[in-house]
Amino acid sequence: MKRKKYIPITRKINAIIIISLIIGIGTIISYYYLSLFMNINDSTRQNLLQQSDILYTAIENYMIPGEAPLAANFFNDINKINPEYTIKLFRSNGVKAFRDNNTISFVNNSIGVNKFLEREVIEDNEKPIDNYFSKAIEVPPRNSVFRTVDRMENTFGAKGKIFFRIYRPLINLPRCTVCHGGEHTIRGVIDIRNDITKSVNDQYIILFISIATFVLMVSILAAILSQYLKGTVIQPVKSIGDICTGVTQGVFDKKVSIKNRDEIGALGNTVNTMVEGLHERFKLSKFVSSSTIESLKTEEKGHKVPVTIFFSDIRGFTSFTELNKPETVVESLNKVLNFQSGIIQENKGDIDKYVGDEIVAIFTQENSELSACISALKIQKELKEKSGSEYNNLKVGIGINYGEVILGMIGSEKRADYTIIGDNVNTASRLCNLAKSGQIIISESTYEKVKDQVKTKGPYKVKVKGKEDYLHVYLLTGIYGG
Amino acid sequence: MKQVIMMMLLLNTLLSCSGQKPGEMLPEDYTNWEKLTATELNYPIPGHGTNLRIPYINDTGRNVNISVVNNKKTHEYPPGTIIIKEIYDSNEISPGDKPVMLTAMIKDPGNSKARGEWVWIIKNTATGEETINTDGFCITCHDDANENHPYGAGNPDSEFRDCVFFPYKK
Repeated sequence: MKRKKYIPITRKINAIIIISLIIGIGTIISYYYLSLFMNINDSTRQNLLQQSDILYTAIENYMIPGEAPLAANFFNDINKINPEYTIKLFRSNGVKAFRDNNTISFVNNSIGVNKFLEREVIEDNEKPIDNYFSKAIEVPPRNSVFRTVDRMENTFGAKGKIFFRIYRPLINLPRCTVCHGGEHTIRGVIDIRNDITKSVNDQYIILFISIATFVLMVSILAAILSQYLKGTVIQPVKSIGDICTGVTQGVFDKKVSIKNRDEIGALGNTVNTMVEGLHERFKLSKFVSSSTIESLKTEEKGHKVPVTIFFSDIRGFTSFTELNKPETVVESLNKVLNFQSGIIQENKGDIDKYVGDEIVAIFTQENSELSACISALKIQKELKEKSGSEYNNLKVGIGINYGEVILGMIGSEKRADYTIIGDNVNTASRLCNLAKSGQIIISESTYEKVKDQVKTKGPYKVKVKGKEDYLHVYLLTGIYGG
Repeated sequence: MKQVIMMMLLLNTLLSCSGQKPGEMLPEDYTNWEKLTATELNYPIPGHGTNLRIPYINDTGRNVNISVVNNKKTHEYPPGTIIIKEIYDSNEISPGDKPVMLTAMIKDPGNSKARGEWVWIIKNTATGEETINTDGFCITCHDDANENHPYGAGNPDSEFRDCVFFPYKK
């Protein structure tokens, strides 16, 4: 199965913070900007529409008494006051009004007198023809649902500028028909346009500032939150992780140092308590055999198993205790037991128990007999070389037997040992008793297993307590190639 | 059984009072009403060109109140007045010709769609679809009826004629 990619919690939290900020603040800013944008647009539009209504009424009133030139001047004046604001009048055929005398001639003919004087022709071929204009002058067919266009509005760009334009149809009212005839419904279209470039640019600036503020705000908030979480959560968790890693490597002297008075602080205290407990158990494991610890994992009740049983006992220890101070006795005893235990464990032996000055160990692995023999030879060699200088002249006798034993939890509910019992255990003990200072006695069953690898003397026929028959035993003296 | 019939009658009454639907504002029998003017209306006017127009007024409208207000002759049509103007496809008609469109004004001051206290309606006679005109186009023209205008005898004294170009004469 593919393992999931390791992603540091720092990165995950940062990602969550940034996403949350972007969604949260981004939504607010977008909404704010959109509202602002719509408000500005709507306000501009409403302003222009209102202005168009006023202008329309003004123009209409200029036209009624036949004062069209006044209207033309009015348009020009407005354009002079504000060049960004223009008003133009187009006839319904798209031709710009006031540039020729066509209307004047038509009106004079209609009323039968030359009431209006012709004036100078102005060259102006500007035409506003576009879809919006066409729609503004559109009169729907009579046999369809009758709808009129009140006004058309649109935004367009020209010469790098943006304009908002309103086409307002000038309706041929009954009072107008006297001069202008009644055949047409729309007399012309008033084109009112305003340059909204600045307004639009202002909105872009607002948008840019909003985005920049947003990015800056997200960055600052992300940094602050990240640092805060780093100090309050991530570092403490990392510290706890380091302590736990240390524990797996046997380091128990370090403690989690978290001053936070919160869940993380409580977790740190719990971890410290846990590490202390683990340390105590670790120390206790020195006093408990490996098989005992192993049995706790399996909760095994008991079973028969072939093992090599190793007994080592200090010779002349009783008289040694009588001749020496208690502290010297304990120190010397511990030294002898300690170095023997080290050698046994180096050779994968398991210290089953200490009984006074005696060590009981078992070897369960493959070639356990040879391992036990090697351990015994090393112990005797060490004592032979350093007994006088290091161990107060203490020496040991060792007995080794290979055979089937019962391995199980022996004792009461309150205090029990996972240990070995059986005839083979007793035999090993007897062999140890037989062994004199510096000797290693192995049983025949052991000998059969290791005879090709070790040097021995014997066999010797011995009688031991609790056995009817004689036993054949050997003195272990060395190892081939050792 | 009697109770059931009473309930059905009550339900029918309630349903009939729930308001007119948009397609049912103009009655079919308006041709039985009185014509508003004997003038042949086929001269060109904006919106209808030279197409023949024949306006009718319902009985309620015939009770128009004519008075002088602030030294100005004032025509005031009662709420419920309906004036329907037939619009034909040409300036002359033959027996059996049907109008292509009806334009109507209903006096209904409290109606939110009313302009100048009148609701302005256009009916497509081919489809029967009735549309209320709210964009001001109708009232813009008819507002000229309240001042001197070029139609018929005009309005030389600028009477207030309640947006009716040819006022009902009792």
